[in-house]
Amino acid sequence: MNSDQRTRGMGHRSVLLTMLLAPALAGAGEPTWHTVEQLTAEEQALFDPAENTPRDPAIPYLPAEAYPFSAPYTAEEMGYRAAEFPHISRWTHSLVDVFGVITSTGYINQGMGVSYVEQTTGPGLDGYMRGLAAGNIHSKWLIYSNFPPETEAEQQLWLVYRTDPKFTTKMDFFVYSPAMRRVRRQPQPRRDQRFPDNAQTFDDVIGRDPWEMDWKLLGVDVLHQTVRYPGTRPTITLNNGNQGFVEENTATIRPMGPDYAHYRADAGVDCWVVMGTIKPDLVPDYNEKFLIFWLDKAHFYPLRSEKYDRNGNLMMVEVRNARNENPAREGFGYSAHNTVYWDIPHDIMSYSFHDGHEPVTWTEEQKGMLFTPEFMRRQWLVKPVKSLSLVENPDHYFLRPHLDREKFPEVRKIALAPELEARIAAQESAGHLVFDEGSAAAGGQ
Amino acid sequence: MSRHVRLLCALGVLCLPLAIPSAHADLMSTVDRSMATFNPAGKYVRKPIERAVPRLNFRGAFRQWGDVLIDTDDRVGFREQDFRFAQLQNLLELEMSYQIGPGLELNAVTHALYDGVYDWQNSAALFADRDDRTVELYDNAERLMRELYVSYRRPGFDFLLGKQQVIWGKMDGQFIDIINGMDRREAVQLETEDFELRRLPTWMANSTFHFGRNSLQLLYIFDFEEDRQAKPGTPWYSPAIPPPNALGQIILPRVGPQSSDFDDHEIGMRFDRSAGALTYGLIYAWLWDKNPVGHVVGTTDDGATTLVDLQPRHQRLHHFGVTADYATTLTDAPLVGALPSVFRMEALWTKGVRFQDYTKVEAARAGAATDGTAQHDTLRMALAAEFGLPHNTTLIFQPSLYYTFGWNPNLGYGFGGGIGDEWTLIPVIFVSRPFAFSRDRLSMNFTAFPVVSGPDKEWQGIKTKLRVRYKFSQFISTQLVYNGYDAGRPNEFYGQYDEWDNIGWELNYEF
Repeated sequence: MNSDQRTRGMGHRSVLLTMLLAPALAGAGEPTWHTVEQLTAEEQALFDPAENTPRDPAIPYLPAEAYPFSAPYTAEEMGYRAAEFPHISRWTHSLVDVFGVITSTGYINQGMGVSYVEQTTGPGLDGYMRGLAAGNIHSKWLIYSNFPPETEAEQQLWLVYRTDPKFTTKMDFFVYSPAMRRVRRQPQPRRDQRFPDNAQTFDDVIGRDPWEMDWKLLGVDVLHQTVRYPGTRPTITLNNGNQGFVEENTATIRPMGPDYAHYRADAGVDCWVVMGTIKPDLVPDYNEKFLIFWLDKAHFYPLRSEKYDRNGNLMMVEVRNARNENPAREGFGYSAHNTVYWDIPHDIMSYSFHDGHEPVTWTEEQKGMLFTPEFMRRQWLVKPVKSLSLVENPDHYFLRPHLDREKFPEVRKIALAPELEARIAAQESAGHLVFDEGSAAAGGQ
Repeated sequence: MSRHVRLLCALGVLCLPLAIPSAHADLMSTVDRSMATFNPAGKYVRKPIERAVPRLNFRGAFRQWGDVLIDTDDRVGFREQDFRFAQLQNLLELEMSYQIGPGLELNAVTHALYDGVYDWQNSAALFADRDDRTVELYDNAERLMRELYVSYRRPGFDFLLGKQQVIWGKMDGQFIDIINGMDRREAVQLETEDFELRRLPTWMANSTFHFGRNSLQLLYIFDFEEDRQAKPGTPWYSPAIPPPNALGQIILPRVGPQSSDFDDHEIGMRFDRSAGALTYGLIYAWLWDKNPVGHVVGTTDDGATTLVDLQPRHQRLHHFGVTADYATTLTDAPLVGALPSVFRMEALWTKGVRFQDYTKVEAARAGAATDGTAQHDTLRMALAAEFGLPHNTTLIFQPSLYYTFGWNPNLGYGFGGGIGDEWTLIPVIFVSRPFAFSRDRLSMNFTAFPVVSGPDKEWQGIKTKLRVRYKFSQFISTQLVYNGYDAGRPNEFYGQYDEWDNIGWELNYEF
């Protein structure tokens, strides 16, 4: 028993050492990425370069091949598989969403809300695509805020529609304000618009339909790190469901969670790198021209994505740490555990922690009760979920994600303001965020 | 100072925060980081209490508001205006909820309020605190213990018993929000966002049945709270109201409903249904008018003239209301493309509202057998269109109509009717947006309330409101507000407050 413990400890330390050194080693050695022209034979066997595949006779904007497809995969099929994993998982569950934003001066604003999610169809993208016709509600989200005090008991009900090229209303949206004790129906947010005081847009939360993009494979890459914890935050306390609160070493948190079976020897994750270009006929006047996704090769989980503006400049980086929160769904059970969004023009960084994730089956009585606008008036948190993962100090906030400027320079146009370059350099040197002082802050505004 | 100069000065003050980030960036940066987690009451009061009593949920807020009149005049209408501060209010709010058992909770909200306008300036016109201490300081259990009720919840049923407030309606302004009385000390400056703090909670039994997409709420109200209007000697007392002796009247003590009298209790019911993009509800309530109307109960001859003796009495009213809202996304809207939109409506028809009829009052003075009042039905309704524009900009257009059936020019004011006229239309316009350069911590909104009516008065003035809000941290926010009252004659709705233009500040700390 003792020897087992020692072995486990050594293994833990070696994983930690590997993870700490991996990004540096990767940067110092061979490139981790290569283009589609440089795919290995093994990769070529998994990739189908076809661009015009047969369409589904019943729903013509979908590929004819049955989801979840089989190898070799087209770029479009990879895009569809990635759409399996939006910010909010496609199954019935509950969690507590801890979120926050920080500016270059260290202004931090955080919130916490318990979320209940109900799917009206079967789980997953297939349930969304084929389980019901466009114009029907496929998912219901009730969010009960319990931090900060200003928004305590504030609630939101999102009734999310199955959309298609013709039916484009994304959701019915209701807000309950305890300060006014009123439930009000609100217009749905504009899809490409940042939420106030946040880096996330509405589409970042709700997900984009894969048929709204033209897909292209750029190549492959290896990701060793996605979300970056600062040296000032060595541990984090997480709500691990039936294990209760568990303190984890932040240096050992891996991008695909502890149970992922496909890590490389150097702890990296092999990824496809896919570009999705917004179709202007389906999404006119959209702020985002194209997006680039890093999808793990085993499950097509989007560990990293980048958004580019109408001029092709990088405008946002989103990185995720995932976990398999629904093992019954095997590779489709991965979920965003921790996500960081970096809005580059404004240099504001948001995070979202999905703590205490638990797949649940709501009873018929609960379904009828919870997911209605009138329920919010009752200010009733029927299933509390707690979290201790709030950032306690601006110095403990997540680092800006890696930019990896050398990767795919043909399409990745990265132009940063000098003051932002200075902040990044200071962050990399210190191992934590370094906030603006004096005129630099003003310049950054 | 001309009105335009004053307005420019006010705008300058309101825009001061815009200059802060660049002028004092060092300070701002330091303040930002230290303020980020500054929550002493949360750390040293709330957390220890909740740790000691795990079943207790405790929270609080401190709010400080001040309004400064831009100009003062010695005499406006029938009153003196020799004060500068119209409001210097400090409010401590504590909210507690104790879980007794599954679904069973005891809830309490306490308010401690002090308004410094009576102590912190030298004014002969502000004297109301001598007659009623609650305008300056909440010093009785009724005001301090704001809400106190037991709640019992089951999946299909809610039951709340005790002192509470019930909010019906979701428009800007009050249309079907008729259950509780209101502290209207701020008169025309009272707005929707203040209702939560100004509503007067009432003892009642409140049950709601939930079945599918429907809910049915039943109220039994055994207490009565009248509206508290701005009193003589308060900052917002109307300058258009002449003293009673100038009208040849003697005002007798008010006669109101009694909690001890079963016949005086009130009832209300509300049905709601949600059906996809459309939600709607119907209400009925049998309530006392929150504002009494003077009934002639006799005359007094003082030797020179005949005075009428008026007794303020409340009238029992039947209210019938409807509410609905519908959401859609308009496509291909000019300039903005897709346009998320919501349309709302509320309407309330009230039967038999009691009005004072000045012709009858004069007839009573001459000896006729009449109580000097008349009954008319009224309708108040509003339609609102809310649009989500680019850059997180919100635009709301809300025309609101108030109508008195069978109106004549001799009627006074009555619940829900036109304001001194047969009909009154207030097309409210509201625009708000945050500013990205401040990382959305700075936001601004503008509201205009023009009042037109007919067939008599036509134009009753306009109120404009410009609000600049800045968020210091997730616990502390502040705002500067300009309120202007323009145009209209001195005896009309906004026109009477022509000299009450003011700049205000609000500081909120929630823990």
